[in-house]
Amino acid sequence: MIPPVQVSPLIKFTRYSALLVGMIYGKKRYDYLKPIAEEERRVEAAEKKKREELERIAKELAEGSPSV
Amino acid sequence: MAKAAQGLVQRLVQRGPELIGAAVTYSKPRLATFWYYAKVELAPPTPAEIPRAIDSMKGLVRAFQSGRLAQLTVKDALRNGLVATEVLMWFYIGEIIGKRGIIGYNV
Repeated sequence: MIPPVQVSPLIKFTRYSALLVGMIYGKKRYDYLKPIAEEERRVEAAEKKKREELERIAKELAEGSPSV
Repeated sequence: MAKAAQGLVQRLVQRGPELIGAAVTYSKPRLATFWYYAKVELAPPTPAEIPRAIDSMKGLVRAFQSGRLAQLTVKDALRNGLVATEVLMWFYIGEIIGKRGIIGYNV
C-alpha cells in the first residue's frame, strides 16, 4: 500500500478549528431560531383557534337564520 | 401480493445471515484501508503541531502581502482552492453536529 501522506499541520489545524467553529455556530444559531419558531407556532395556533371559533359562529347563524 | 411479500420476508429471514456476511466481507478490507490512511491523514493536530500551523499561517499572510501568492501556478492555485473547500466542508459538518440534525434548522 502507498504510505499515507503527511498532511500539513496548517491544514489539520484549520480543519479542526473549522469543525469546532461550525459546532459552536450551529448551536448558537439553533438556540437563536428555536424560540422564534416556538413563538410563531404559538401565534399560529391562537389564530387558528380564533378562525375556527368565527367559522363555528357563522355556521350556527346560517343554520339558525330561517327560524329567527 | 401478500404471498409474494411473505415469500420475500421468508427468503430474507433465511438468507439474512448470508447477506450480513457478504456485507462484512465486502466492507472489512475497505474499512481497514480507510483506517490505515485516516489514522495518519485525518488525525487532529498534536499540540506540538499547533505552533507550526500558526507559523505557516503567518507565512501565508506574508506571502499574500509580498505578492508571492500571485506567483503560484494555476495548478497549485486550483489545488489550494480544493483544500480550502475541503476545510470549509468541515465547518458544515460542525454545523450539523452543533444543530443536532442533518436537515436544515429543525426548530
